[in-house]
Amino acid sequence: MSRFFVLTLNGVTQGAIYAAMALALVMIWRATKVINFAQGAMAMFTTYLAVFAIEHGTPYWVGFLVALVSGLLLGAIVERVIVRPVESAPALNVVILTLGLLLFLEALAPMAFGGQIRSFPPAFSIVGLRLGTSQVPFSPFDLFTLGSVVAVMLLLLVLFQKTDLGLRMRASAFNPEVSRLLGIRVGRMLTLGWALASLVGALAGVLIAPSLLLYPTFMDDVLVFGFTGAVLGGLDSAVGAVVGGLLMGFALTYVGGYFGSDLETVGALVILIAVLMVRPSGLFSVQRVRQV
Amino acid sequence: MLEVIDLTVAYGPVVALHAVSLTVPDGSMTAVLGANGAGKTTLVRTISGLTRPRGGSVRLDGRDITRLAPEEIARLGVAHVPQGQGVLAELTVDENLRLGGLWRRDPKGQRGALAEAYDLFPPLANRRHVAAFSLSGGERQMLSLGRALVARARVLLLDEPSLGLARLVLVQIMARLRTLVTERGLTVLLIEQNAKSALSVADEGIVLHLGKVVARGRAQQLLGEERLRHAYLGF
Amino acid sequence: MVAVQSRLDRLVRPTFGRHLLFALGAAVVLLLLSSQIGAYDDYNLTAVAIFAVAAAGLNLLTGLNGQLSLGHGALMAIGAYTASLLLKDHHQFPVIVVLLAAVLSTGVIGIGFGYAAARLRGPYLAGATLTLAVAIPQVATRYKSIFGGESGLTVAPSSPPDWLGADFPPERWLAWIAFAAAIVTMVLLANLLRGAPGRAFKAVRDNEAAAALAGINVARTQVLAFVVSAACAGLAGALLAYWTGVTAPAGFTLALSLQLITAIVIGGLGSLAGAVWGSLVLVFVPLLTSGMASRLSLPSSVADNLPLAIYGCILVIAMLVAPHGIQGALRRILAYGRARWGNTPGGGQKGVVDWDDPAPDT
Repeated sequence: MSRFFVLTLNGVTQGAIYAAMALALVMIWRATKVINFAQGAMAMFTTYLAVFAIEHGTPYWVGFLVALVSGLLLGAIVERVIVRPVESAPALNVVILTLGLLLFLEALAPMAFGGQIRSFPPAFSIVGLRLGTSQVPFSPFDLFTLGSVVAVMLLLLVLFQKTDLGLRMRASAFNPEVSRLLGIRVGRMLTLGWALASLVGALAGVLIAPSLLLYPTFMDDVLVFGFTGAVLGGLDSAVGAVVGGLLMGFALTYVGGYFGSDLETVGALVILIAVLMVRPSGLFSVQRVRQV
Repeated sequence: MLEVIDLTVAYGPVVALHAVSLTVPDGSMTAVLGANGAGKTTLVRTISGLTRPRGGSVRLDGRDITRLAPEEIARLGVAHVPQGQGVLAELTVDENLRLGGLWRRDPKGQRGALAEAYDLFPPLANRRHVAAFSLSGGERQMLSLGRALVARARVLLLDEPSLGLARLVLVQIMARLRTLVTERGLTVLLIEQNAKSALSVADEGIVLHLGKVVARGRAQQLLGEERLRHAYLGF
Repeated sequence: MVAVQSRLDRLVRPTFGRHLLFALGAAVVLLLLSSQIGAYDDYNLTAVAIFAVAAAGLNLLTGLNGQLSLGHGALMAIGAYTASLLLKDHHQFPVIVVLLAAVLSTGVIGIGFGYAAARLRGPYLAGATLTLAVAIPQVATRYKSIFGGESGLTVAPSSPPDWLGADFPPERWLAWIAFAAAIVTMVLLANLLRGAPGRAFKAVRDNEAAAALAGINVARTQVLAFVVSAACAGLAGALLAYWTGVTAPAGFTLALSLQLITAIVIGGLGSLAGAVWGSLVLVFVPLLTSGMASRLSLPSSVADNLPLAIYGCILVIAMLVAPHGIQGALRRILAYGRARWGNTPGGGQKGVVDWDDPAPDT
């Protein structure tokens, strides 16, 4: 089996995870015009909570749920308690705020859960599936990863496009003032938006943890890859974020496979700069880049 | 009944409204007139809760709504149609209309109201699934008004609906509005720079100048006052 | 003292001579101070000077030019590795050569990245510099033969010159080097900021379109700010290499960049003096917490991370309640005093409104 084929299959799984991170960033960007640089750290923290549950004897699935539910709550709390008061502050202040949260969570995790590096158990076998006589480098856990990302994305799609709640959330993101005049409780919609985005981020964390080791900064790279994916997709488009995240998955597994995994972040840097220089508003965006 | 009592609004050191009072009885229309910077938009923004007053109060059917959030005021049946920017351009016409009454949580009633709005504004019915940014100025105005109807608003705050509208369209919209006031008992506060057309449909008129009420009276009576027309209304 | 100085700046027309005089005064004070304290305190004061250089550079970029960089830790890494490569194999290059080489290499890389950064705004710039911060240390890990991999490169210390005597403490010598570097940096930056470039930086930050209309080349201004800022980071990185004695990827994490941001936020965005305040906090918070941790016998996972947790809280709380930092808070207190007890009738009310955006809608 060719190396390229192996890497491509790995790229799909990685890409699904980066797509989830990109989508989380885009959801928050669209709702509050904030790039949540703490997204990775929040996902790291919820993954620690999951591993904490598992280490205390609960089955994987309980840990998985703990990650998602705590992600939901953490997102809501962060929006309510620290993002809401700076709603109308300059963009720079809000960015610094999310950086402060990042720093705090990355320090809090080892204080709360201990400083040792941990491994995270996968839900399914990570041994490649058998197709006939040959073994493909695609494991049941890869399948589970891909499946859960796709499922969550479909659920979000239905929520936003087919339900009244989704309509209210979209309206609040597009124009909060007019939405309030229409009787929409915009504050609740923003809280919900942050909660859902943080859930998607938490999903990315709990899915990628088995293939990485668990330590306080383990999501920094994933945040960078997700951000690059989101920028590739134009930052304003949910579909763009998913496509951008997938592309990052492929691109980086090739970079990692052919040049060494330490260069994946350099690869992301090169891609990011190249895209921003050529098409500052992203590959799929029809809108002009915002001046902040 | 909408009552504004001694309303004072300031932006930092700049006083935009100075002890303004007015009453709009149910089933009537009051026009608020005045030049740019007279404080007209500040007045409606304060009534709908978007701007916080420094003093005075706003009452709806005797209830003090001065400190309520805009979304809570909207849920009492007050629809504020803001100047020009009232439609959510990224959403479709249908989505915009539906948004008007979502808070009522009455899907059946809303379907009826939606159909009614389409009846009232046929151009909207043809463009139901089109994104609102592709609408013309007149169609947007219809959409904003239609949305207020879907919300089954009792009180309508209209901020310069004539802005950017063709004369003929404006006349049609004003006529519709008048019908709604008389037949349904709708209460309307109409902000206008175009004093003549506003006074011709309104019951009462109020003239604002630099944040103060300088004249008020029956609409017909204001139309006839030579001095006022020259000094403040410009026609 | 520094705060008073910056207040005077606004009253008197600044000159190069006055900055020089101030620098001389600072040099004398620091010289006397460093001779009175022990080696351990010299060691800590050196760290203050190093962080002050990097934070002043970052503050010029972020506070005065409005470009947020999350990548200054990576730029410090470039300076540190430049110095370490020169000092590898016990080459005894003079300190001044090593420092200038670090400034030069980081400045050149700063030009390249500055051009890219000048085209980016807000979250895009923040994200791109974040990527830089994460990527650079991994390059060092990847090319082990050059950069020494995870364990890094060891740095030969700079020994004090003979005329200072044989038992002159090396900590004090390094402190002097760092003080000299910090003072020179501050004087140069202060002069830059009082002149046309400084006005251009602020004009571009406040309103790019207006700055362009006023004949300012916006892109070139932003590149200049980035290059100067990067050069400061490089200098600080080289000093850090001497200070730690080893240059390894683990020393240049994203947390380092975020600490620099903490320093300028604490000190006040846009103020050179603020960079010094912030650096003092960066050095003395860990000293305080480690002292506290050993008294309470806290586990090391708590003790090691307590400073970062505190910085994180400081950043969040500062943005919530005091976005202008210590320097801004001092300025407010002074302004409040003037407004309250000043003799201009009615001035009090006005002063109170002016410091903060009155924000009538909230």
